[in-house]
Amino acid sequence: MATHESGDREFEGPGATATMAEPERGSGAVATTVRTIGELLITAGLVVLLFVVYELYVTDLFSAEKQAEASSTLDQQWDQNRQLHPELIDGAAFARLYIPTFGADYHFTIQEGVGEKSLEVGPGHYPGTALPGEPGNFGVAGHRVGKGAPFNDLDQLSSCNAIVVETQTAFFLYRVLPHEEEVKDWATGKGAEPQCKGVSTLRDPNAPDGGPYGDTVGRKVVLPTRGDAVSPVPYRPVDVLPPASQVALLTLTTCNPQFSARERLIITSVLVKQWQKTPGSSYQDVLKEIGDNI
Amino acid sequence: MYAWIWRILPGSIAVKAVTALVLVLGVVALLMFVVFPWVEPMLPFNEVAVQ
Repeated sequence: MATHESGDREFEGPGATATMAEPERGSGAVATTVRTIGELLITAGLVVLLFVVYELYVTDLFSAEKQAEASSTLDQQWDQNRQLHPELIDGAAFARLYIPTFGADYHFTIQEGVGEKSLEVGPGHYPGTALPGEPGNFGVAGHRVGKGAPFNDLDQLSSCNAIVVETQTAFFLYRVLPHEEEVKDWATGKGAEPQCKGVSTLRDPNAPDGGPYGDTVGRKVVLPTRGDAVSPVPYRPVDVLPPASQVALLTLTTCNPQFSARERLIITSVLVKQWQKTPGSSYQDVLKEIGDNI
Repeated sequence: MYAWIWRILPGSIAVKAVTALVLVLGVVALLMFVVFPWVEPMLPFNEVAVQ
């Protein structure tokens, strides 16, 4: 019986596998190919996800390190030698930016140049535009997503919010200009509030279009090709006003909407006050001076 | 593909698992430190300046 049974099994076994294995081996090759393609697609998806993580978080870490380095280098430079005009070296920091609205600890060094290398350290100064405190337009670009995202919340700046720029010799207090919808009733409306002291619409009341500063507002969304957003007089030809009659402006630019490069968000502010630095004076003193009027 | 890699990894299951983890971390590091920084400038969404 036992021999018979085992004999049966021996007979059935190979016979069954022989008939089953033939079609399975064919579909096995197809299955392997399909599975491999599937695995590759899933892998590609994971790589793209990983890239998003890299862009949003890992570049922040890399940039934080570079920013800290730039900041301490700048402090050393300022301690070592006093010079009236900073030497502008592409990629090197020469000033510091504070926006009290984003917290008392918000500070970034401003590098010369708006290239990739400058901007991964922090905000960058448009070469050729005015320097802090000078008449004309001190243009600064910065990342909104990743790379420390210094200009992440730029869209939350209201008119009259303070923007402080520190150079080796002075602190400059800029305030965001009236937004487009506030321009009309500025003098009687928000312009009368204490934090708006010194902030005007810059409009020429005698000119129907508002004069040279007719298009200058606190917040504007423009196409990336509007290079004249950082012109000495924004959105006007470079020579529309002689330097002596230009207002001292600070313009911040970043991408808009967030996560897109379709447009640019432009924040323009005007110089309202400046303090010469004395030994030992710090941003804390400026904050005290500004008080609640951030 | 992954089944094949798993099969050719030497050693016991524990050793295989550790080797596999090291391989994955190696690939992630390669992407983070070499490939992504290289690819990034060619993509448009880091443009923040007007020109």
